[in-house]
Amino acid sequence: MNYDFTEPEKQFFAAVAETAKALAAELQTEDADAARAAANLRTGLRRLAASDYLKLETSGRGEGADGPLALMKAMTEFAGPCPSLFLAVEYSTRVFGRAVAAWGDAAQRERWLRPLAAGEAVGALALSEEAMNVENDPLTTAGRREGETIFVTGRKQSVVNAPAADTIAVVGVLDEKPALFLVPAGAPGLTIGARRATLGYDGVLIADLELKDCPLAADAVVHPPDMARMLGLLRFWENQVLVAAAVGQSAAALEAARTHAKTHRSGGKPVIAYQEVGFKLAEMLTLHQTAEWLAYRAAWTAAASPREADELTLCAKVFATEAAEKVSGAALQILSSVGYLKGNPAEIAYRGAKFGQIAGTSTEIARVHLGDAAMGWR
Amino acid sequence: MDFAFTKEQLMFKQEVVRFARKEIVPRVREHDLASAFDFDSFRKMGDFGLLGLHLPETYGGQGADVITTVLAGEALGEAGVDGGLTLAYGAHTFLCADTLYRHGTEAQRQRYLPRLCSGEWIGCMGLSEPDAGSDVASMRTTAVRQGDRYILNGTKMWITNGPIADVAVVYAKTDPSQQHAGISAFIVEKGTPGFAAGTPLIKMGVRSSKTSELIFTDCAIPAENLLGKEGEGFLYAMQTVEWDRSALLAPFLGSITYLLKRCAEYAKGRVQFGRPIGKFQAIKHKLADIRIFGEAARALVYRIAWCKDQGRPLSHLEAAVAKLYIGDWSLQVTNDAVCLHGGVGFTHEFDVERIFRDTRLAPIGGGTSEIQKMIISKLI
Repeated sequence: MNYDFTEPEKQFFAAVAETAKALAAELQTEDADAARAAANLRTGLRRLAASDYLKLETSGRGEGADGPLALMKAMTEFAGPCPSLFLAVEYSTRVFGRAVAAWGDAAQRERWLRPLAAGEAVGALALSEEAMNVENDPLTTAGRREGETIFVTGRKQSVVNAPAADTIAVVGVLDEKPALFLVPAGAPGLTIGARRATLGYDGVLIADLELKDCPLAADAVVHPPDMARMLGLLRFWENQVLVAAAVGQSAAALEAARTHAKTHRSGGKPVIAYQEVGFKLAEMLTLHQTAEWLAYRAAWTAAASPREADELTLCAKVFATEAAEKVSGAALQILSSVGYLKGNPAEIAYRGAKFGQIAGTSTEIARVHLGDAAMGWR
Repeated sequence: MDFAFTKEQLMFKQEVVRFARKEIVPRVREHDLASAFDFDSFRKMGDFGLLGLHLPETYGGQGADVITTVLAGEALGEAGVDGGLTLAYGAHTFLCADTLYRHGTEAQRQRYLPRLCSGEWIGCMGLSEPDAGSDVASMRTTAVRQGDRYILNGTKMWITNGPIADVAVVYAKTDPSQQHAGISAFIVEKGTPGFAAGTPLIKMGVRSSKTSELIFTDCAIPAENLLGKEGEGFLYAMQTVEWDRSALLAPFLGSITYLLKRCAEYAKGRVQFGRPIGKFQAIKHKLADIRIFGEAARALVYRIAWCKDQGRPLSHLEAAVAKLYIGDWSLQVTNDAVCLHGGVGFTHEFDVERIFRDTRLAPIGGGTSEIQKMIISKLI
């Protein structure tokens, strides 16, 4: 047992945090303007590619840090200062990228992962369909072979990065087997819907998409071996990103509230001196630290004991995303009118927290899975 | 970072679970309902090596590391041992025996530790008073040096094992003009003239532990019963916090695992509206929340244990976070467990109401949740 990160790991995390803070200062990452969001994503990816951050768990080791636990810690450092950029980068790198890394052949990995790690390409993963639910009803998106060409038809909803992506990995079925169709931007038959207006993550581009007989070469199809396993892993990776987002943004909201409570004076003393404020901060810190450690343990389990990792990550997902809402909500209360202003870390985290509870495995479905597991039904 | 236990640690934990299920658990309900201390089980815990697990073998202990010791506590809870017995074990081992080991002279160690490790003697710690609970510095119990004796006067309150203890580590003011710096620690044996335990308190939970006042009326003890140095008593008391936030919280962790199993079994077997209630999503959600609570608490407790094993000074902030989380958040899940059982959850039949009652102590004992919030808000 060891509750410390190594010195090289700590240095790596510090570098990621510095880069994130610099990006947050330079770019308006929470700006809702679509063109700016797309440009920010490209800039962010290029800047991050200077370190090994983009390679973690996709195309190699990070310098001084490696594995799911190091990735989790690094992601939390990135998520706090620039939430929208973080989400867009991670859906590209750790959701799209990991799918290609896990199931792509050597040529596919070279073709799609190299530019991804270099910060030169943006990816997206299109999974969610109208009928998808707790029981994983069959996907309706499917490919049809005609000679050497595969024609893909289907609809996907709420695809992160869809309007900005160079390649969209569309999850579907081919020859009654699971498939990832790697659809390039602008492909014939691909229609990206209007950008969705969302509660939070203002700087992320989210849209539905439709494919009508979209032609693809056979080498642009990835073949995961098993549908249930594929869906499970895709959600698992997404859940890890959302856990990190929740922990990172909780930290940002907590820090904003803490700083305000120590510097804002009322009745002749800093407001932290009032138990109503001090105790609230204590509860916030408790929730935040508990979520953080649960996130680390779940991430560590992914490497050390993958069998347990799925359930523990669901635990972390539920706890961290719900804690993020509570922490940021309490931060808003402490920050008072300052927190209510657009752009404050607490209000950004508060709006973003709901996405974390809905996306990936929703907290309701996660609880169903955990309940089933407790009864030996899963 | 590595959250893995060693193979030996996990094997030992399973040994403790098996031991407790066989030797202790069959009598838990009986002792809880009768508010009776289970002397037999306590002695068996001594024979098994649990009572002085972390203490050196020289003094009758097993020389285990802190993480193994915390695992043993978790194992007791996981096996279904009640909070009363685990509290008694905690007060005996960590608040009394450990303090004697840390600060005692060789003669004091030789006299008390083998007896405490075997369970021949039961130990307790007297710190709180009727008007000095969280505010320790306000204690009124005094110890006045008179030649080769100290004369103790005062009353201690809420003393776990008080009525059954053979030896007590007692904190008293040797310099009432001082606050914390005026507090010293003493060893007082049962039968010392002027020393008496009050009537056992009737409690909501942890009933099988015996709790009472300790009353000192011109109680004369030899000067060599001073533990450590005069004026350092508060420091010694605070050093028990590391155990309080790890080994004493560990049985709570284990009892949550036990609770989850009981709830899952019940949910699978109880049929309503033509199907097991476990098929209803609301029940699954309750089970999930119990699991999530246990998993979330685990890293907090073992982090403190690991730091102690490394010889690192306790982070009071992190210790308070662990105590606050487990104390406050355990209430919801233990309440949910009772509700999941419906009417029978309100009876003694399924243990869940006992765990609910036992757990209610978590945000009170060893520093209330409010005190933890005060600590955190000062250190944040």
